[in-house]
Amino acid sequence: MSALSMPLPGAAQVLRLELKRNAVPMLLPLLAVVFWFDTLSTADAFPPVWTLRASVIGNHMLFDFGAFAGGLAAWAGSREGRRKTLDLVATTSRAAWARLSIALAGTLCWLLLAFLAGVALLYVKTALEATWGGPPLWPVFVGAAGVTVVTAIGFTAGVLLPGRFTAPLVAIGTLLLDQAGLHAALVLSPAQGTYAVLSPAGLPPMLDAGVYYRVPPDVSIVRVMLMGGIALALFGVLGLAAGIRHLIRVGGLRVALRALAGRGDDVRLRMTAAVLIGCGIAASGTAIALAGTAQPDAAGGWMIPALHSAASDRPIPVDWDCTSAAAGAGVRPAFQVCVSQAFSFYLHPVASALTPVAAEIAGLPGAPAGAREIASVAGGQAVMSGITGTPPVFDFTADHVGGVFGDFYGVGMGQAFQQGMLDAFLARSPPHAGGPAYVLPQFLNVPTPLGAAQQAVENALLAPFGWQPAIAGPAAQQWQGPALAGILAAARRFGALPASARHAWLAAHLSALRAGTVTPAQIP
Amino acid sequence: MTATSARTPQAAPATAAHRTPGAPRLAWLHLRSRRVPAGVLALALCGGLLHAALRFNWTFNSGRYAQLVPMIIAAGAAAMIAMTAHSPFGEAERPTGRWLPYLRLGTAAGMTAAAVGLLQLGVVGMSLNEGVLVLARNVIGFTGLGLLCSLVTGGLLAWTLPMGYMAFCQYALLASWTSPWTWPGRLPADHGAWICACLCLAAGLLLFTIRGPRTQVSDDG
Repeated sequence: MSALSMPLPGAAQVLRLELKRNAVPMLLPLLAVVFWFDTLSTADAFPPVWTLRASVIGNHMLFDFGAFAGGLAAWAGSREGRRKTLDLVATTSRAAWARLSIALAGTLCWLLLAFLAGVALLYVKTALEATWGGPPLWPVFVGAAGVTVVTAIGFTAGVLLPGRFTAPLVAIGTLLLDQAGLHAALVLSPAQGTYAVLSPAGLPPMLDAGVYYRVPPDVSIVRVMLMGGIALALFGVLGLAAGIRHLIRVGGLRVALRALAGRGDDVRLRMTAAVLIGCGIAASGTAIALAGTAQPDAAGGWMIPALHSAASDRPIPVDWDCTSAAAGAGVRPAFQVCVSQAFSFYLHPVASALTPVAAEIAGLPGAPAGAREIASVAGGQAVMSGITGTPPVFDFTADHVGGVFGDFYGVGMGQAFQQGMLDAFLARSPPHAGGPAYVLPQFLNVPTPLGAAQQAVENALLAPFGWQPAIAGPAAQQWQGPALAGILAAARRFGALPASARHAWLAAHLSALRAGTVTPAQIP
Repeated sequence: MTATSARTPQAAPATAAHRTPGAPRLAWLHLRSRRVPAGVLALALCGGLLHAALRFNWTFNSGRYAQLVPMIIAAGAAAMIAMTAHSPFGEAERPTGRWLPYLRLGTAAGMTAAAVGLLQLGVVGMSLNEGVLVLARNVIGFTGLGLLCSLVTGGLLAWTLPMGYMAFCQYALLASWTSPWTWPGRLPADHGAWICACLCLAAGLLLFTIRGPRTQVSDDG
């Protein structure tokens, strides 16, 4: 007798049968297609930064899996009721709880297997593209807990309310819960703050989350605790399913309580079920209480004081990736651009966008001698780009340059970098706080817009690169009518001057230009 | 009993003969066997959920995100309709008469109309982003998908395709896809989207009427 043909012990054999007969494998192709188009496509559109890519597990993958996991578990749970075999199987030697547990385990095994296969695919693709860091595990734990709790909810609903409409109703309920979490995370009103922290759905994190500071596991721990607690309590409820079903069917509380507390061999099982329910409720309640104490942390995430480790707040030593290019006919010092190694993939596009603009202003007072990426959050505040230090360096973040927010991966965002640097140079603005890091970018304090003369000079300096911010850039909404016409005319005049004449005029009038005492008409 | 008496057809009981005319009774029995009354209640529940989502601000007021919750509920309503495709009699019902395809068509079309009506009722007095036309278009498109799915999986698992397609369309909506076959995320005036949704429903109704749902696979799970 070979090892494969040896008879398995009872429970394992039933589990094998359950795995073989389960409905989940039949729907895996559909789930795979949804995963491919939704989760993987979204992740592919993000820069290959581990924390950012891993955020699709909570934001997209759980949504995709939630609908199927809840519905299919309800389908599996309602099997006995659907086939009207409740009385038939009631006479089996094993407890109903054992029978239901195996059906639940079979469904959960398939769903977790599919989930982990999806995560593996996502992480392998990221590993092939990422230039720094490693796979974060907490999002996987949260995702697995999410799949488990949705499966437990669906299965319990199927057991207690067997019917053809249970599966889709559970699926809808699961998706609405997910959407309510997303809404709470985006709106973030004080009333919904706890739910926003507990919900895995939300906005993607900052682009450089996990690059300059560690992502504290506080919120993930609370989420796992909540979802694990609910799953545990529902597993306990399955142990009392017969009594609860009786309550639902007969509607008599006394009969149901007698069924729940009936004497005999099942008393220990019922006690165990009651203990599990108690533990589950305690764990979930603790998680909700802890989530209520969440506070924004220094790195733009959430911290829970009771779970927080001070080690998470220490900055991670940054490994820089730099490139230098001669700024201005090789006579001036090289213009150096540095980014964190996590963003090496966009070092050269950024350098090639910034270097020629730096050459235009090289040698002028306050002109940057280099550019450097810094953390997008400091002290809980979003950092806005600017020029600082001696020699001056243009500091930008992976999330914000000039008036533009968002990821700059693979997009023609060179213009944003060029304008961001010139904005900071002409307005002489250093990097500054833009507001709390957890609010949406549109509510942050963007840098003060340039004056008309400054805008005209910026237009003239950027015209050789094929665009004018006053017409097409982020500043376009600011200028209209005669003011815009004046700026464009001044930019045309200034742009027509030889480079040396422009440079000389800027050297002589830069202070006045920055102070706002020059008008477009005064520009030669 | 003699052989003659056994061959003589027995007269139907008088109470049954006078109870209801044949066609409405047949239709009512068909609807009951498909759990249509419970299905209408489930659709009303979907309408109530939509009303609650709008009233208690579970959804956004404007922008792309505002379409997400109505889309989920439209797909849910379509899933309920698809669930009524399941027959408890299976294969044995098919040779019983020529009315079955018409009953299937009438049930599916009637449930679709009921779904549209009940969801519209759910948004009365509320401000629904993109209006009720988009909601109706999504219901009919998803219903077509559900009916098509029932041909492959059987009625009881026919909720899976509308739900799966809805999950994909949420991505398409947020990623600003403009293909007409991602109709759930398109604007009310997008003719291509309307054509795609109507084609889905037409194909679903036609094939469902002619072939009926699959009767085997659903019972395996």
